[in-house]
Amino acid sequence: MSENLENKIMSQIKSGKLKLHSRYIFLAEKLGLSSALVLSALLAVLFCSLLLFYLKETDNLVYLSFGRLGILAFLDSFPYLLVAVFVVLLFAAGYLISQSDWSYKKPFKYVAFGLLAFVLLIGSTLALTGVVRKMEEQAFRGSGPGMFFRPFFEQGIEMRGRGIVGRIFEIDGDYLIVETPHGLQNVSLKNLRCEQQCEQFKKDDFIIAIGQRKKDVFMAEKIQKIEPGRMPMIHRGIRRQFEIK
Amino acid sequence: MNPSQLTDEQLVKIIRGKDRELYSQIIKRYQTKLSHYLRKFIYNADELEDVLQVAFIKAYRNLYGFDVNKKFSSWLYRIAHNEAINYLKKNSTGQISLAEVEYKLIDEKINLSEDLDKILLKKKVERYLNKIKLKYREPLILFYFEQKSYQEISDILRVPRSTVGTLIRRGKDQLRELLLNY
Repeated sequence: MSENLENKIMSQIKSGKLKLHSRYIFLAEKLGLSSALVLSALLAVLFCSLLLFYLKETDNLVYLSFGRLGILAFLDSFPYLLVAVFVVLLFAAGYLISQSDWSYKKPFKYVAFGLLAFVLLIGSTLALTGVVRKMEEQAFRGSGPGMFFRPFFEQGIEMRGRGIVGRIFEIDGDYLIVETPHGLQNVSLKNLRCEQQCEQFKKDDFIIAIGQRKKDVFMAEKIQKIEPGRMPMIHRGIRRQFEIK
Repeated sequence: MNPSQLTDEQLVKIIRGKDRELYSQIIKRYQTKLSHYLRKFIYNADELEDVLQVAFIKAYRNLYGFDVNKKFSSWLYRIAHNEAINYLKKNSTGQISLAEVEYKLIDEKINLSEDLDKILLKKKVERYLNKIKLKYREPLILFYFEQKSYQEISDILRVPRSTVGTLIRRGKDQLRELLLNY
């Protein structure tokens, strides 16, 4: 068997039937894998910072301050798309690491934990810097690299079914007319579970309300006054809507 | 320079550079070792030779994929291991066959009771090695029969070094239990 096998293989090599794969194939494979890994890890960091920025700068988490009633509004404004992309990128980075030459040397749970720690640490640091805010400006201006992330930022100021945020433009009996990034909206106070009165509010106050949208009117069930600085993304959205335009 | 004095890694460099025919040295060096290893997974001699041939051909084709700073034998065993796994996925296994020297190794290292009937023991080891889960059988075979170090086994099986010890210990326990209880 031994001579036979050697002869079989060597005759194929000598005749040129059996050839070495080009070194460039291996080089390209290695470079491709490394680049894909770096890209997916960097994008995961970026989406982590976008997600943290979204949670910090939009109305989403504020709805939870209404207690049980605010949960629907919270779920309604939750950034599912951002979270989904972030999770997919994390899994992609984890998968690419598992395909690398070195990953098997350490148990995968350590590698996965390291990746998660890296992404969360750098992502949250990035969220604290002005980078994401600059991207948001670019997204709404429609210029620069930030414009590619517009769908993710837009979700932060889009119209909600269960909640509303804006600046009071006018108070009219049982109605508030509120400036939002989508223009003036009517907020009815008829369903207000009211320990609160309209008189508490005055023009230019920032308010956040939960309730239900019925056609063009938002039927508020609870309203809170908020500091303008708490909602910069909405605030900027209103400025764009009413001042810049 | 006499090719037999060169290390595997030096040989690979020369084969990749100009002298393809030196690959026969690699085949000579590893044919017996690898067929020994594959015999623990593949019972049929003809099929074993086919798998071995495929492993050598794949290794040759992918020589540029080997990092000469690493150990060539681990890389080659990894290819043979993958081929054995592919074979096992397609085929049901027969009873493996142990050489006399291997039987002595397992007797010494697994530390079975001395008064067991040696011939009976050999037959039992042959029969029960196949009954152990593949994930335990592989490191057990590499460690006891192929005399590979933990690091080499880690490189061949692509599992962390610390896991190799655990797998060997569990495999050994399973084999001992099977040998003593049946």
